[in-house]
Amino acid sequence: MSTRWYPIYQKGGPQLRVFLPNFWMKLIKPPHEQPPNIVQFACSMEMTKYDIKNYLEKIYNVDVVHVRTRIGLGKTKRDPGLGYVVKADDTKYAYVTLPKDQEFKFPDLFPKVSTVEEDYEKTIKQTKDGFKDYLDKNKERPGMPGWFTV
Amino acid sequence: MSSNKILNLCKLLNNVSLRKNEPIVSCIFSRNISTTTRKFDLMEFFDDQKNWGANDVKVGRAWKKDEMRLKSNVDLHKLWYVLLKERNMLLTMEQEANEQVQLFPSPERLDKVEESMENLEAVIRERNKAYHELETGETGERPGKHVTSRLGLRYYYKMSEHVVPKHMNTKWQQKYQFYKYDRDVEAFLLKYNEKLYLTKKRKQRRDFNHVIGLLKRFPGMDMEALKQQYPDVDIEKAKHSRKCRGHFEP
Repeated sequence: MSTRWYPIYQKGGPQLRVFLPNFWMKLIKPPHEQPPNIVQFACSMEMTKYDIKNYLEKIYNVDVVHVRTRIGLGKTKRDPGLGYVVKADDTKYAYVTLPKDQEFKFPDLFPKVSTVEEDYEKTIKQTKDGFKDYLDKNKERPGMPGWFTV
Repeated sequence: MSSNKILNLCKLLNNVSLRKNEPIVSCIFSRNISTTTRKFDLMEFFDDQKNWGANDVKVGRAWKKDEMRLKSNVDLHKLWYVLLKERNMLLTMEQEANEQVQLFPSPERLDKVEESMENLEAVIRERNKAYHELETGETGERPGKHVTSRLGLRYYYKMSEHVVPKHMNTKWQQKYQFYKYDRDVEAFLLKYNEKLYLTKKRKQRRDFNHVIGLLKRFPGMDMEALKQQYPDVDIEKAKHSRKCRGHFEP
């Protein structure tokens, strides 16, 4: 269960064990509405459905009922200057079903969107504070030119 | 959380056996034992709630190799999963920030985690090698060898085990074709090597001329630093060059 190299498994050989799995998974906000107990992930390309199930159960202790995966095609676009085609990497998506009674809602990670005025006030405050620091630093040395200390 | 801490302290005190005659060594600079509660949830894919929408998140540095060499295998194994979860969390947060066109605070966290993971793997590999060398006299690493490809270029071939023997394995034979004499390849190599040679020579000449220019403009330069930056250039020769002299009669 990892992208690393392992000796080949043959019948009767010892079970291959993974001590340091290097797969990644990221929970993404589903672009299309899903039932409340379905969670969407993007994951390493090498992961199988069994890997995903084991990963979530063993590392995150999440109950998994069912896993579906698909590979999303990376978008292609033409280079604006020379016109050759550039393709983004493909991504593997996993749709994980939780038990019927559990549900997961993607949280609102950016609850407060700062307005233009707030940003402006913040910048003004930063500038004022910086100037005050500068004045404080040069209080002890009157007559020193402004460029002397950075 | 606090009850957990008290429990840990009690455990620690239980382990310390005190005899009556021995004076108790009091430690002035002691740190509280900090423990975090283990949580298993899908919310582990997200950062602390107080960091949502923050401008920057203050974090420490990455784990160094020397620090990890002091740790036991069990500790390193646990640390790996901590790092793995942290990386997943950061990837999730980064993805969502990109989706919403928002700032992803302190993106250097990802680099730090990656660096820690690399260091951890390096330490584990060291231990693995030492163990294998002690037990079997071999490193236990994946075997490999330098081979020449079909185009006559050398590369490192990582060997792996196969179910089918080499002489019967047509798929492997198609995929890995090594060099055997070919007139076209010889012709290609001749030209390719010529190109490499010319590139090298041009670089040498360019550096030499550049050093001459430097010596001319800055005669009192630090020669050690110059030698370090251009190790291939013969500086004595460059000094005696005609181009290095100023426009005056000596």
